[in-house]
Amino acid sequence: MSYAIEVCDLVKRYKTVTALDRVSFTIEEGEFFGLLGPNGAGKTTLIRILTTLIKPTSGRAVVMGLDVVKKRAEVRKVIGVLPQAMTSDLDLTGLETLDIYGRFYGIPAMERKKRIAQLLELVGLKERARDLVAAYSGGMRRRLEIARALIHMPSLLILDEPTLGLDPQSRHTVWELLRRFQDSYNLTILLTTHYMEEAESLCGRVAIIDYGKIVALDTVEGLKRMVPEKDTIELSITNIGLDRAEAWIKTLSYVHSCVIRDDTLMVSVDNGARMVPVLVDGLRGLGARVTRIILKEKTLEDVFIHFTGRPIREEESRKVSFLIGAGVPLKWSR
Amino acid sequence: MIRFLAVVERDLRKFLRNPLVILVSIVMPVVYLVILGNSLQGELRNITVAVVDMDRGPFADRVIERLYALQAGPGTIMLVRVADQGKAMEGLKSGRFKGVLIIPTDFSRDIMRGKNPELGLFLDNAETVSADTLRMAITGAIGEIERDFLPVRTRTSIPSVREVNLYKKVDYDQSLIPGVVIMAIFLGTMTTGAFNLVMDRFLGIEESYFLTPLTRYDIVMGLMVSGLIVTTVLALFVLFASSLISGIYLWKVLTLHGFVLLTVIIVLSTLGLLGLMFIIMGRINHPRIVGVLGGFLNVIFFFPSGAIYPVESFPWWLKGFAIVNPETYSVHALRAILFKGADIEAVKGDILFLSVFAVVALLIGILVFKRGL
Ligand SMILES: Nc1ncnc2c1ncn2[C@@H]1O[C@H](COP(=O)(O)OP(=O)(O)O)[C@@H](O)[C@H]1O
Ligand SMILES: [Mg+2]
Repeated sequence: MSYAIEVCDLVKRYKTVTALDRVSFTIEEGEFFGLLGPNGAGKTTLIRILTTLIKPTSGRAVVMGLDVVKKRAEVRKVIGVLPQAMTSDLDLTGLETLDIYGRFYGIPAMERKKRIAQLLELVGLKERARDLVAAYSGGMRRRLEIARALIHMPSLLILDEPTLGLDPQSRHTVWELLRRFQDSYNLTILLTTHYMEEAESLCGRVAIIDYGKIVALDTVEGLKRMVPEKDTIELSITNIGLDRAEAWIKTLSYVHSCVIRDDTLMVSVDNGARMVPVLVDGLRGLGARVTRIILKEKTLEDVFIHFTGRPIREEESRKVSFLIGAGVPLKWSR
Repeated sequence: MIRFLAVVERDLRKFLRNPLVILVSIVMPVVYLVILGNSLQGELRNITVAVVDMDRGPFADRVIERLYALQAGPGTIMLVRVADQGKAMEGLKSGRFKGVLIIPTDFSRDIMRGKNPELGLFLDNAETVSADTLRMAITGAIGEIERDFLPVRTRTSIPSVREVNLYKKVDYDQSLIPGVVIMAIFLGTMTTGAFNLVMDRFLGIEESYFLTPLTRYDIVMGLMVSGLIVTTVLALFVLFASSLISGIYLWKVLTLHGFVLLTVIIVLSTLGLLGLMFIIMGRINHPRIVGVLGGFLNVIFFFPSGAIYPVESFPWWLKGFAIVNPETYSVHALRAILFKGADIEAVKGDILFLSVFAVVALLIGILVFKRGL
């Protein structure tokens, strides 16, 4: 079995920060792999090393069989990358952008034209292809950049927070697009994100990264299984006493615990979805009327909390130079 | 090749999408010409001079007549007849007069006897520029009297005459044209080429093309070529426009040979400055720094280039800088081609320097460029 990506003991240190701390993992061809972590976890650093933009302090990374330090030029030819920031030129049109990038890869004119038409169609920008990117919405711009990353038909697509800053609707469009691309082009996809739902709805396997370390790696299901917390069903009932209901519930074999909190029964079970009808039917049988049900399934959030001891943070402020904004060399700032 | 051309095209397209920048790049140097031409006029005008005639002889009349001619013609001076020497000197001190010319009692007689004639010229030395101009204008005018009326043998007694302009047909506005063109080139090279790298770096866009197979040569040479195209066209435009408003019809003055030579000088100057910008801006990541640096560099390169004041009059250290300043050679060559009809022979030194400078600057520029984050 050949690996699309093989990372071995990768370390990246900036002056005081260890952005990546002995990271190792492999991604097989055809996988949809997610790297989930909060801001500052080291996701972008890892992506930049894998895509030849920065050199690791130590360790090894091989992409499509090519060492990312020794074979930079070759690596660039076989990967398609969507950087975290929006990187399309505002004063070019969508069509020009794709054409120019096609030429950066040396794709002959005929093939380029065919490919561009196809991609524009797929990302839904055919109608707007001749408009300046400056006139695009954030979601459109992102879709154009995904098309751009695929212009040379790479077999590996690497996306750094593809839906960062997009509204929910655009986010779903992008997800749909990525699923479609993976199916029809047999792509291997590596995606980083700090959105739980994104990793959960797209990725086969997910690595959780925090402070430069991979703290867990498995399928979404597998990760959830590792977490001792269960699904929780909250029930509100009338007609019969809560005590009676509690006593009955506790006799059920799949139930781990049942407690009364205020006017609500909190039932902890392994598989919430399967237990809901059982509970409702049983309570009805006892003469109760169920007025409210809330099912709280385990999420990657719980997984994240389990492995890191805290919820995924939203924003971590980054120091910017006080001398001249972004103007001071990176060495001095941060 | 296809990749490199794509870099050129990307840059040119982006440039053309900013018509305001194009317009400003052309208009600004031309406005410079007008402002500089009017604020640093070659010949001063209306300098008030008091004349005290104590001779009242024929030659005194001649002198005064000449001075009136100077007033009516170029308008350099404005004559005020004052009878009393003391009053005139008071006026000089108070600043009412910039100079006082005293024609002594025996002036006419001395001339007729072949003695050295002597005039007293008192100048307000607090204003060196007008003092110098006055001295030259008055000695010039008097020199002509001697030529008109005196036998050859008295020539030795004539104060030597310095000409205001070396090439008389060129008036001051026109002589600024080479400087204006080089300024257009400077502005062009500062806002194309390496500046696009700074902008891409600032906007974080560079990452996207660093991810492609583009090499550092593709990137630097591509930006260089698009910068060269843009700047050359701008400079030719500015040359044409500034010539036109200062009354030179290029199509009448220039031969095809001259035009080609002019273009070669513009291209070489542009390449050199583009390379220099790549060296200077190679690692800058904020356009604000470019703004600050640009204003500074423009002055640093422009004024010591001989575009306005002749290099010969600089102190030694500034002369030293002028010798390594590429703009010096550009200005020299442009001036020679435009006003003296120089051929390649006359400017080959300039071409050699500019070529060497361009090659060296480009090479260092490519080396300084870091293809990576
Ligand atoms: N150029 C740099 N210089 C110094 N520190 C950096 C640099 N780039 C990133 N870092 C630090 O490395 C850590 C990981 O950053 P990053 O990879 O951007 O995280 P993420 O993409 O997961 O948000 C952060 O603490 C960040 O501040
Ligand atoms: Mg990031």
